[in-house]
Amino acid sequence: MNTLPLEGIRVADFTWIGAGSFTTKLFADFGADVIKVESSERLDALRTSPPFRDGVAGVNRSGYFADRNTSKRSITLNLKTENGRALARQLVGVSDVVANNFSPGTMEKFGLGYEDVRRVRPEAIYLAMSMQGASGPDSKYLGFGLTIGALTGLQFLSGLRDKEPAGTGTNYPDHVPNPCHAAFAVLAALRYRAKTGQGQFIDLAQTEPMISLLGPAILQFTANGTVTERTGNERLPMVPHSVYPCAGDDQWIAIAAWTDEAWETLAHTLGKSEWLRADVATIELRIAQRESIDENLALETRRWNAEELMATLQTHGIAAGVVRSARDVVVDDPQLRYRDHWAYLDHPEMGRCLYNRPSFRMSDVEQVPRGPAPLLGQHTDDVCRHVLKLSESDIAALRSEGVLT
Amino acid sequence: MQATSNLATENLTTRAASHDSALGGLRIIDMSGLAGQYCGKMFADLGADVILVEPPGGSPTRRDGPFLSAQAHHEMSLAFSYFNSGKRSIVLNLDTAGGQMLLRKLVSKSDLLIESERPGVMAARRLNYDSLVSEFSNIVMTSITPFGQTGPYAHYEAEDITLLALGGLLSLGGYPDTEPIAAYGNQAYLAAAQFAAVASLMALFANESCASPRGRHIDVSIQECVVLGLENAVQFFDLENVIRRREGGLQKLAGMGLFACADGFIYLMAGGIASSGFWENTIRWLEEEGVPRAGQLRQSSWSDHNYLRTDEAKSRFERIFAPFAQEHTKDYLYSNGQEHRIPICPVNTPKDLIENRQLSYRGFFSQVEHTFSGRNLTVPGAPYHLSKTPWRSPRASPTLGQHTAEILSELGLSSEAQSALFKSRVVG
Repeated sequence: MNTLPLEGIRVADFTWIGAGSFTTKLFADFGADVIKVESSERLDALRTSPPFRDGVAGVNRSGYFADRNTSKRSITLNLKTENGRALARQLVGVSDVVANNFSPGTMEKFGLGYEDVRRVRPEAIYLAMSMQGASGPDSKYLGFGLTIGALTGLQFLSGLRDKEPAGTGTNYPDHVPNPCHAAFAVLAALRYRAKTGQGQFIDLAQTEPMISLLGPAILQFTANGTVTERTGNERLPMVPHSVYPCAGDDQWIAIAAWTDEAWETLAHTLGKSEWLRADVATIELRIAQRESIDENLALETRRWNAEELMATLQTHGIAAGVVRSARDVVVDDPQLRYRDHWAYLDHPEMGRCLYNRPSFRMSDVEQVPRGPAPLLGQHTDDVCRHVLKLSESDIAALRSEGVLT
Repeated sequence: MQATSNLATENLTTRAASHDSALGGLRIIDMSGLAGQYCGKMFADLGADVILVEPPGGSPTRRDGPFLSAQAHHEMSLAFSYFNSGKRSIVLNLDTAGGQMLLRKLVSKSDLLIESERPGVMAARRLNYDSLVSEFSNIVMTSITPFGQTGPYAHYEAEDITLLALGGLLSLGGYPDTEPIAAYGNQAYLAAAQFAAVASLMALFANESCASPRGRHIDVSIQECVVLGLENAVQFFDLENVIRRREGGLQKLAGMGLFACADGFIYLMAGGIASSGFWENTIRWLEEEGVPRAGQLRQSSWSDHNYLRTDEAKSRFERIFAPFAQEHTKDYLYSNGQEHRIPICPVNTPKDLIENRQLSYRGFFSQVEHTFSGRNLTVPGAPYHLSKTPWRSPRASPTLGQHTAEILSELGLSSEAQSALFKSRVVG
């Protein structure tokens, strides 16, 4: 098998919870040796977050944690002890990337701030991904994915105009914008280091990538003076463009058929030639009558099974997609199955359970993720022996001192 | 665009290397549409030379709103000018042999090709990966498509909303009593652009830092990019057989959710992840504020996670907290709640973001010129600060074909050859 693109890169991973862990997972899956520094004294909150294998809580049983920590190694190191901090510095000294997503000041308290790291490892790339950045009036404020969604404008912009903002229903910035931006920045810095030998400090505020993605709404205000409002599923000039009910309980289909050609095809396919009237023949006219168009379309879609309607519309070249639940994407979707998106990996405590594969295939890379999430401290001895080069007696002593917990 | 410019004497190699930046020296061909334009922007903003290859008439992204002064003109799209700032534009008709030959010439001087044509289109032009790599052995090609290059849905039509649907995220968006509601702003396309950027840079880094570089094809499925945004919902199904649903407007747990205030909404996380301390802090804050019945939140029932899930707990919490929230502004609740170490945040509007003191402190918003109107636009700036190789405020987005002659000159084409290409409409 070919070598993976990040083979030879070591990450001292102090991240926890959502966005940080997902960032380093991207590296681990593609070959980096990611050593997750944990402690039973201060657990990664995702280890204690549901869902759990069989609904039974336990630090090695969370599916949320597992999916975000594939292919990594875990060591337990009590950073409240002097020797624990010394070992962490030793690990940093043999790492290429040092990553954390704590509030500003936390790593400094452990003697692991950028200045400390630079002293032992000048060429390290130091990734700090706090909520609002390393400094500034609100930099010490608390937050998580959901509050970040609110802070960035994503929540305000998503939902119905006459109801409260709905957002995405998830901690969206944690899952895509922050991990992807952080990973991109680190890779760019690794490239620069390969050319110049120099490391650097990366300060990523977990609000800013999401706001960057909302550029058009920002410009609508700064250039045109208009505050973008929520529009539900309406995206003018695309009409029709919405989510329509299908037969059965809570079954829906998204349809976008807004060009003249798509609109005519839609009308013919649904047997509604009366929709080809002159008064809705152009997009301008359909925009003016969008409410009645949506109502009439919903009356038709209700008669259909969602899967059959999607297949029929797609046969005629109309963009349509069944609203799949988290169950449906696993059980029903033939494309995800064809792409082998779902990996079933064997975890020492959870057994065989479901993981995401990456959303892209690289032509020369097979078998990603490389392994399941680690047990808490599963690789402590391994890393002490082979990375930190400690003797068996040193390891035993550190363990009895409560450093390796 | 006229073929008269002979000013572009700088050749392609020196141009790319002249930037002292993280990605200086990389040349990228960006022929992607809505789903890839942000990927090219991420490269351009860190110093890569990104060449936007547009079809005659311009990229479809030029027709995507909002528009400056609401003028639906291909040079007035604000979305285009934001997502394409820092790139250079060349108009190439890739459905002609001449256009295909020029693209191959460009590929010969490039590190990465990003494209988002439907599967099969590039092969028909003999510009697919297998064809390119046989000539340019180290090329990285990133193809972004709705469902990936092959499979039962590979030729399905798609828009952002149908991909949010088939990727599952739409099932979590919106309110229990309405249809599912899609996230604002082409998030499926943007998710794909971001994963494409990470994958592409990983491949480029590997090529540059190993002894034996090689070509790589990266096949990005937008549907799968959406699936990665499902949080823990898939694991909830796999491990606990629970199917998460949309719950907009509801508290997730008592004390965790959206509340109306005097000038909008705030998001409060008094309960939830690692929350015991936040609950205590919330009670202390509410008592200091003299909120009636705040002390009731100390009753032992509130420490039971299962109780916090009940409708009774949620409505009890709401009766205590909502009247207080409604009397105060977002700003007041944010500052005072945070002073009490509670994760509480305003639901910011775009206007709030422009006025936000933390973003101002960080100098987050940046200026970019808009060539066609002559105006300066205020845009989101650096999404990350790299101490040695800072993000730079980009050049203006290109007008259609602005750099066609310049790039042809860099490819070594004489002005006679260029004139012929313009005349035959192979370039524009």
